[in-house]
Amino acid sequence: MKKPVILMTVLMAFLLVMAIGSPVLGADTIKIGVIGPMNFLQGKGHWNGALMAQDEINAAGGVQVGDKKMKIELVKADSNEFLSMTDATNAMELLLTREKVNYVVGGFRTEAVLAMQDIAMDYKTIFLGCGAATKEICDRVGQDYDRYKYWFRITPFNNLFLAKTSFIHLATVGGIMRKAVGIEKPRVAIVGEKQAWVEAMVAASETNIPKLGLEVAGVWRPSQTATDVTAELSAIQRADAHIIFTIFSATVGVTFAKQIGELKIPVAQVGINVEAQKDGFMEATGGMGNYVMTMNTYARGVEYNELTKPFVEGYIKRFGEVPTYTADTHAAILMLAESIKRAGSLDGDKIVPVLEKWDEKGTTGQFKFDQNHDPVWGPGYLTSLGVQWQEGKLVGVWPNKWKAAPEAPEITYKGIVPYKLPPWFIEKYKK
Amino acid sequence: MIYDIILTTLINGSTWALLAIGFSLIFGVARIVNIAHTAFYMVAAYCIFYGTYRLGVHPGLAVLMAIVLVMVLGLICYKLFIEPIREHEAAVLIATIALALVFQELVLLIFTGDFRTVPALIAGYLEISGVKIAYQQLLTIAAAGVILAGVWTFLAKTRLGLAIRATAQDREVANLMGMNEARVAMLTLVISVALAALTGAVVLPLSVLNPHMWMGPLIMMMAVVVLGGLGSMKGSFVGAYLLALSEALVVFLIPKGAFLRESVALSIMILVLLLRPEGLFGVAFEEER
Amino acid sequence: MGLLGFYLRKLVTIFKGEIFVLPSRIVVFVFVVVLLLFPVLIDDPYLLRILTLASIFAIFAASWDLLSGFTGQMNFGHALFFGVSCYTAALLNLHFHIPPWGTIPLGALAAVLAGLIIGIPCLRLRGTYLALTTLAFPIILMGIVFALPDLTGGELGLSGLERLAKSRVAAFYINVILMIALVATMWKITDSKTGIIFHAIREDEVAVRASGINTTRYKLLAFCLSGFFAGISGGLYAHYMRIAGPSTLEVSMSFQVVIWSVFGGIVTIWGPVGAVFILFPLLEFFRFWPEGRLLMFAFVILLILLYMPGGLLHWIRDKIESECPRCKIRNIATRKTCRICSAEMH
Repeated sequence: MKKPVILMTVLMAFLLVMAIGSPVLGADTIKIGVIGPMNFLQGKGHWNGALMAQDEINAAGGVQVGDKKMKIELVKADSNEFLSMTDATNAMELLLTREKVNYVVGGFRTEAVLAMQDIAMDYKTIFLGCGAATKEICDRVGQDYDRYKYWFRITPFNNLFLAKTSFIHLATVGGIMRKAVGIEKPRVAIVGEKQAWVEAMVAASETNIPKLGLEVAGVWRPSQTATDVTAELSAIQRADAHIIFTIFSATVGVTFAKQIGELKIPVAQVGINVEAQKDGFMEATGGMGNYVMTMNTYARGVEYNELTKPFVEGYIKRFGEVPTYTADTHAAILMLAESIKRAGSLDGDKIVPVLEKWDEKGTTGQFKFDQNHDPVWGPGYLTSLGVQWQEGKLVGVWPNKWKAAPEAPEITYKGIVPYKLPPWFIEKYKK
Repeated sequence: MIYDIILTTLINGSTWALLAIGFSLIFGVARIVNIAHTAFYMVAAYCIFYGTYRLGVHPGLAVLMAIVLVMVLGLICYKLFIEPIREHEAAVLIATIALALVFQELVLLIFTGDFRTVPALIAGYLEISGVKIAYQQLLTIAAAGVILAGVWTFLAKTRLGLAIRATAQDREVANLMGMNEARVAMLTLVISVALAALTGAVVLPLSVLNPHMWMGPLIMMMAVVVLGGLGSMKGSFVGAYLLALSEALVVFLIPKGAFLRESVALSIMILVLLLRPEGLFGVAFEEER
Repeated sequence: MGLLGFYLRKLVTIFKGEIFVLPSRIVVFVFVVVLLLFPVLIDDPYLLRILTLASIFAIFAASWDLLSGFTGQMNFGHALFFGVSCYTAALLNLHFHIPPWGTIPLGALAAVLAGLIIGIPCLRLRGTYLALTTLAFPIILMGIVFALPDLTGGELGLSGLERLAKSRVAAFYINVILMIALVATMWKITDSKTGIIFHAIREDEVAVRASGINTTRYKLLAFCLSGFFAGISGGLYAHYMRIAGPSTLEVSMSFQVVIWSVFGGIVTIWGPVGAVFILFPLLEFFRFWPEGRLLMFAFVILLILLYMPGGLLHWIRDKIESECPRCKIRNIATRKTCRICSAEMH
């Protein structure tokens, strides 16, 4: 009589057992979890950068922990954070409990990182962020140090600095425009996708742009998934804008560039356009994406210091494309390894103070944390790059003889080339 | 400004009208809410991309290939997954959602999540009173118009069109009148899917391809269909342009609120439904007992 | 001692007479016992997390069935209730520092209000119109959420919410016990006079109205009850994940709940609950092939629907139980005669 019941119970037990699986017996290795949206470019960057770090360290014999050397073992976790928040938190929990990793690197979408950070802090595990820029994430360190001290952001620098840097780019382009075609006060169309991180930047732009000697022509807020921006572009043309200040992180960045290129609209695009950072941008815009300028961390041929080139070239050789900023999991793991060596132990509580005092050269410049475990920005520290698409190639155009302040040192990284205005723009405006 | 609004309305409206009519057809005839309709549109778009870029064939040929492929795909899916469970409406609905997900994941696996584009069939643009309009956009509007006219003629003048309209009105009586209802349903599905593919071909050069591109048009298409009235071709047509107009107005009059265009369109749909629960031209279906 | 013995014997009789006679009831009993004993038997926070989330979504799915399964009003925007209560609970917790046991009921009440707001326009709509209209509401709300980022945090959502309980295990028990209690309540509702009226409205609304029952009131009641339970699950979710974001209003959340319910079997309450506990861990289980996770998931759904379009759990139940032709009481399928009226079963 109880046959079906037994069947059901057996089935349920089977499912449970399959789910539990057998715990992986850890050898004498340091397990580092790499968590990110693995089906997308950002997650792939996380994983690839980590792979490079792992190989580099293990080739040298491993990490020095006290008086023995331990190798690094990476554990991949797909957070799927673009599509599902519960997936992200489940993945983090899986890493920390089932896989029992010692440290975690990665994360991208702010909403997900906030939740994942909480879980990591619950387990007092060091979590090095390599993707989410929102300042709030690091503010938590200051608000509740004892709980959040295990969090450090490695890349990018926070959104306030992102805004500052893009304004500097804007001013640079405005200056070039003035010199090239003699427009005294170029008009700027602010176009930002409808996202919370853009809000602050849009508001800041409206106040700052006049201070840069430019004029605001208008503000447009398309939806981030917009596949047709004809309406916005027509309106921008009518507003006689010379520069489009882009604040894009999603699809709309491609659509915009493509349509501007196809219609040869006489504007210079500058700002943040995350899609334009990718090698596939040219193909995505059908070849129409030239002259788009955006912020980026790495570019072919540009060197911040002597550490940059080996990393970038090594990455290109191995993975066929320029690393994006999420590939700085490489820097994160190298930093971690060195900190373990200096602390002499794997204990998070001993490593945290070492990281806090960190002031070393990294592949993107001099790296130092502020008191909220956020990377420090500025000349001599991290500045990132301004890159532009010229003739189908992504090249570095900023900083080019840049002075942060009149008494600051002039900065030009090796491999920077001059910025170019679109020829149809010069054609239209040259008197 | 007026030109821009008109142009945008025409482009978007034509896209949605094409999609909505295909959706409405299959719903009217077979009572299937085909959530995977825009997913077929996406598959067709990727086929065209593949044909044009990877195989190097002429875009026109790629379009034809895509349409044929999608029609066959639609037929197979219908026979395998939908027909056996046609009596269970709720199950059919979920099955179409699952199908759309399958298409999305397959596309993601094969083409990865990176964004792609297809070159314009006619490059270049012309300038009207200071605003540049790409030839491709005009081509889109013209193509959409031609296709819509074609569908209209087909439904109104041919025997099969008559059968489709009759089955849409009353399935049982049409069966009594000698029309093979199951076959009409199958043919309608094929036509509906072909329309989705055509839409993909027509709209493709203007937009960006990615595996999630089917979700946005889905909502708007359903809003159009509901607004116009389920089962009514005229309703879908009018509804499409109405909602496109509302979106264009939002984008142009409230640039800071451009992201709200979907919400506004949906609110209009709800308001209209409050006043007329069957939609603008909808037919109030008799409850089938 | 004698009294205790009496009650124990009564318990045994009830068990023997009511629970152990039907396999489906045994399954439910075993399920509840296993869930309650789980943290004691197995110490794995990851599995605990999956089961906790499954419990929350089980309440959510069951509430959908209460509305759309029983009254036949297909609600494609169930995420609205979830999201409204999520955000309300978050706002109350962040700005007014109300603890979770206060924000969750208040969030649920907000969801009830939302239920009224969308229920009233939907009264005149039928069938597919209703389904597609309800689909629109969460999307509109999402637009509003993005339009007021200072209040709602835009796409970042609201974070830093209080926990439900100090430890993972405590949170698990709160969720599971709440789930059992609420699902049982919903089950009782469907078994009551109100439930019968709901069911009747689904089958033939005109006849119900002809019988003199105010269907409008009952339809609105269905919306509100469903909203309330969905709201509770939303509040629980907010405090468990400690973040309330726009992902709670997405179309995919609405679709998920419909998929779960139809997969498990609508017009039951246990169908969606069972489906959630099968499908949600299954999705996690598919992690061994990360790229194909969703693909396999969709395929599983397609295949199951092909062979069991009435729902998986319905089909299983029909295989192991059958109805007596005379007294209509369910019996286990292997019996030859009915346990109540001794009629021949086949």
